[in-house]
Amino acid sequence: MRHSLVWQLLKRNISKGQLAGYAVANMIGLSIVLSALQFYLDISSVVESDDSFISRDYIIISKKVGLAGSLLTGDRADFSKEEIADIEAQPWTRRTGAFTAAAYSVSGALELGGRHMSTYLFFESIPDEFFDITPRNWHFDPATDTEVPIIISKDYLTLYNFGFASSRGMPQISESMVSMVPLRISISGNGHQQWINGRIAGFSSRLNTIAVPEEFMTWANDNFADTPVANPSRLIIEVNTPGDPAIADYLRDHGYESAGDKVDNSRAAYFLSVATAVVVAVGIVISLLAFFILLLSIYLLLQKNRSKLRSLMMLGYSPSQVARRYYMITGGINLAVLAGATTIMLVASHLWQRPLEALGIGGSSPLAAIAAGVLIMALITGGNFMAIARNVRRTFPRP
Amino acid sequence: MIQEITLRQTLPRVFEGMEHDSPVRDSHIWLQEVSFTRGGFYLIEAESGTGKSSLCSFIYGSRGDYRGTIEFDGTEIRNNSIDRWCELRTHSLAYLPQEMQLFPELTVEENIEIKNHLTRHRSPQWIRRTLERLEIGHKLRVPAALLSVGQQQRVAIVRALCQPFDFLLIDEPVSHLDARNNDMVASLIAEEAQAQGAAVIATSVGNKINLAFQSVIKL
Repeated sequence: MRHSLVWQLLKRNISKGQLAGYAVANMIGLSIVLSALQFYLDISSVVESDDSFISRDYIIISKKVGLAGSLLTGDRADFSKEEIADIEAQPWTRRTGAFTAAAYSVSGALELGGRHMSTYLFFESIPDEFFDITPRNWHFDPATDTEVPIIISKDYLTLYNFGFASSRGMPQISESMVSMVPLRISISGNGHQQWINGRIAGFSSRLNTIAVPEEFMTWANDNFADTPVANPSRLIIEVNTPGDPAIADYLRDHGYESAGDKVDNSRAAYFLSVATAVVVAVGIVISLLAFFILLLSIYLLLQKNRSKLRSLMMLGYSPSQVARRYYMITGGINLAVLAGATTIMLVASHLWQRPLEALGIGGSSPLAAIAAGVLIMALITGGNFMAIARNVRRTFPRP
Repeated sequence: MIQEITLRQTLPRVFEGMEHDSPVRDSHIWLQEVSFTRGGFYLIEAESGTGKSSLCSFIYGSRGDYRGTIEFDGTEIRNNSIDRWCELRTHSLAYLPQEMQLFPELTVEENIEIKNHLTRHRSPQWIRRTLERLEIGHKLRVPAALLSVGQQQRVAIVRALCQPFDFLLIDEPVSHLDARNNDMVASLIAEEAQAQGAAVIATSVGNKINLAFQSVIKL
């Protein structure tokens, strides 16, 4: 009865309109923040997954090959240790991987439809973590393995199927068929020659090369290289901020080229993250304004009830006892706002799920966005509670 | 428990610079050393505007616009924490302010209940019996706003008694009561104070409560 009596006294001046206004404003703000966050997470789940249209996390760079440079002066278009270190020091670089070229001769032979074909090839290797695919048994041990797995660019298969095969009347082949074709690889150099079996283990849409495991490359270079292994001529860079214009500027200033037009394409991803940041900022501004509406509303309420609060505390009520109901109202409203904003976010993400799925984007768990909402609400509620406590304690009658 | 309340060189800020003029010059409290001891009945006689309500507020700790010190058992009360004040106001210090501070929108019963639920000191039967004894038992469910000032004074007295106390501060408790009601209130307060061994400090500008005062001090 005590608290219901206290409440009966204090509730009179509560303006339901003000509180509802706060709740609506804050719900809109928080909904925008959470939805933008969830949308960004959905999209970036794609940015982080490999082999997708929006995958711009990696760029492959090489030096421009000048006609005079390579033929006349003998300058090689490779990257020195200093140049690599400089690239790694750039803020947009997460890590770099070097393409190791083979310093020996490679040729491949295969039997296809009764016809024997053979061709000169080249091998490159990069650190495993830069592959967009991780094929089965992607390793090579010279002591035990008689077969080397190979990853080739998806473009090569496309070129063969739609360029070469269709014009020459050759059969078109699928990825799985290619994987079953037995390859014989000849590696030679430094006065040695050796045959080894090859197996196409996968197709990469990121790497425009014929790649073998690094263990194989190291072993082969050690045994068959005529000359010491040269500096890498191509680098793969994992970037922090896809589409950052600074990357394109840096490449241009240093005379580097990136494979394909990924740097240009990635501007779309960059704009996406900028746009998301703007939307999140707008949501935060609305939430902040709503937070101040509630604070003002509470201050006004406490001001109107000042003499009653003082009379209660003259009777011996403690500040926390008289403030309890205010805490409950604020906490209740904020909890409702959080629940409402979370619901809106979930509904909105459900709505954009379908168009995104059409683009091949799976969506991500809403837990992170919900956690962000809980955190924001906890901060707002904490701020409200502190304001109430301070205000009530200031009213406490004491000398 | 408070045994003794001591005022040393206490002076309301509004009287600063008037130390040698009336009423401060003639006061037996301002700028003096005065002690009130548990068990005693004290009457503070004052003229209007000499600061008697201020004195009650200073002792109750609800105002601090004075210089000098006020001590409870040797402890300067300005240093008390909020928790300590809450503890004192529910267990040691009972106070009837001159303006009574009843909540006009609450009924007589609720006005008393709001205090008693904090202290859990009195039974509903005691409250009803005491209101009847002061001849306002029939007003139990009437909002305080609708009571006469004299009735409000009696309700506020009952509310003030709804807690254990060592000192009861009553600021002009019977200013609107006739002699018969004065006697009823006085006997109630005397009984309750004596039962707890408590002191009563009453103020008056004319109509003083009819208690057996040991000490009458001119403010």
